[in-house]
Amino acid sequence: MGIFLCSSTLARLHMKNIYEVRQSNEIKSFIVIAGFFLFAAFVIYILTQTFGIYMGYQPGGFGYLGIALTFSGISTFVSYYYSDKIVLSISGAKEADRKEYFDFYTVTENLAISQGLPKPKIYVIDDSAPNAFATGRDYDHAVICATSGLLDKMTRSELEAVLAHELSHIKNYDMRLMSIVSVMVGIIALMADWLLRVRYFGGGRKNSDNEGSIGAIILILGIIFAVVSPIIAQLIRLAISRRREFMADAGSVEITRQPNSMISALKKLESDTEPLEAANKATAHLYIVNPFRGNIKGAVSWFSGLFNTHPPIEDRIKALESMA
Amino acid sequence: MIWILVIPLALLFFYAVSVYNFFVSSKARIKASIQEIGNQLKRQSELIPNLESSAKGYLKHEKGIFEKLADARKAINRAVESGDLQKMADAGAKLAGMLPDIKVVVESNPEIKGSEVVQNLMNELRDTSDKVMYARRLLIDLSADFNVKRATFPSNVIANMFGFSEVEGLKMDEAGEATKVTRESTKTPKVNLE
Repeated sequence: MGIFLCSSTLARLHMKNIYEVRQSNEIKSFIVIAGFFLFAAFVIYILTQTFGIYMGYQPGGFGYLGIALTFSGISTFVSYYYSDKIVLSISGAKEADRKEYFDFYTVTENLAISQGLPKPKIYVIDDSAPNAFATGRDYDHAVICATSGLLDKMTRSELEAVLAHELSHIKNYDMRLMSIVSVMVGIIALMADWLLRVRYFGGGRKNSDNEGSIGAIILILGIIFAVVSPIIAQLIRLAISRRREFMADAGSVEITRQPNSMISALKKLESDTEPLEAANKATAHLYIVNPFRGNIKGAVSWFSGLFNTHPPIEDRIKALESMA
Repeated sequence: MIWILVIPLALLFFYAVSVYNFFVSSKARIKASIQEIGNQLKRQSELIPNLESSAKGYLKHEKGIFEKLADARKAINRAVESGDLQKMADAGAKLAGMLPDIKVVVESNPEIKGSEVVQNLMNELRDTSDKVMYARRLLIDLSADFNVKRATFPSNVIANMFGFSEVEGLKMDEAGEATKVTRESTKTPKVNLE
């Protein structure tokens, strides 16, 4: 939280140029991600120790961590590796051709030229809720998907801003980062789940007597962690996701050099509260605006904000205005 | 104890290698980005005659437009043939500079403005000048990254060691004009929506 508070005060104190924004974004992003990995390593260590004591073997066993890693890893890896194909089959997207979607096609082509990236494949989802997302495991398999609602409602320069935002996600390898983070969250959740189950069904063995008081402390600590850590891990994952949105916004301005078209695009998106039918939770973090958003204000909004993949649009506009 | 010496030295070595690789690969990318500018200009000069022939019937009273387009195309061809970066950059700005004039002609005549062929012509012209602009942007960005890294500590030590000199990039005296034109041409869609 400290990081977020201090960023907004800083923004009020002085105007930043895009390079300063990029730098501070990169630093904040690095802090959040490094913090997450330290936290994940710590939790996994504690949980593994607790398992060891539960099951009566010497602490430090790797067996359960290995199983959790395999479970969570395989499923996430598959959805990451085939993300371009899976997402498209879910959302019923069709490939956009140059003639029918001239602006969409040519703007993507031009932005890719400006970044020296291969042109991503582009798809259109037939849905009147304006939104867009990017996916794909690397530059050669990158996909940008836009809804027909977005293409209808945006001017060419707004579309440029939105697509530059998506291209920044691709350029920053956000898909890869979020997949790795998801694996870690998955491992923590699985292990915590098992630990709590073992407590009910497999517990009750009296072999913890000879472990002494250290064993008892780790046991209690482990149970506390099993309850709390999946929630914390999830919250950090969402914080990372929100950080990456700010980064992609700044990246968009860096590509187009026009903060105002990003601002007007976001305002248009904000005024439209129609939910996107084709979205699902797995892909929500890659959309330009949260596809499940509603209009909640006040303290409830701060709390529900913690569970959001996207920062509030007003905050994103404020950050952009500091660059304009 | 020897590790206290070996580990920092190894880290230093890996850092030096990565910085050296940055300079070398970034030079290659800069070269490729110059080729990309030429590539886009070539596309532009091949596109113009096509557009001309399809829109000629609609714009037969506006001969000035075609003369301007032909001029731009000749300049582009000459520049691409010469292979000189600065000439290519100038030629690329030429079409972008003409767009507002052509737009004025189209705007002033509702009959022309309404026709799909002419709209298509305008869109394609705008797109091709955007492409050249973005190709130039890539060169500008890449050479800026290179030069910043070359000048700042500690990577400048390695740059000096291997004698990497500053990259020229694009000369910026015509950049003011070019950016003005770009901003101008971003307004086109608003016109289309009317």
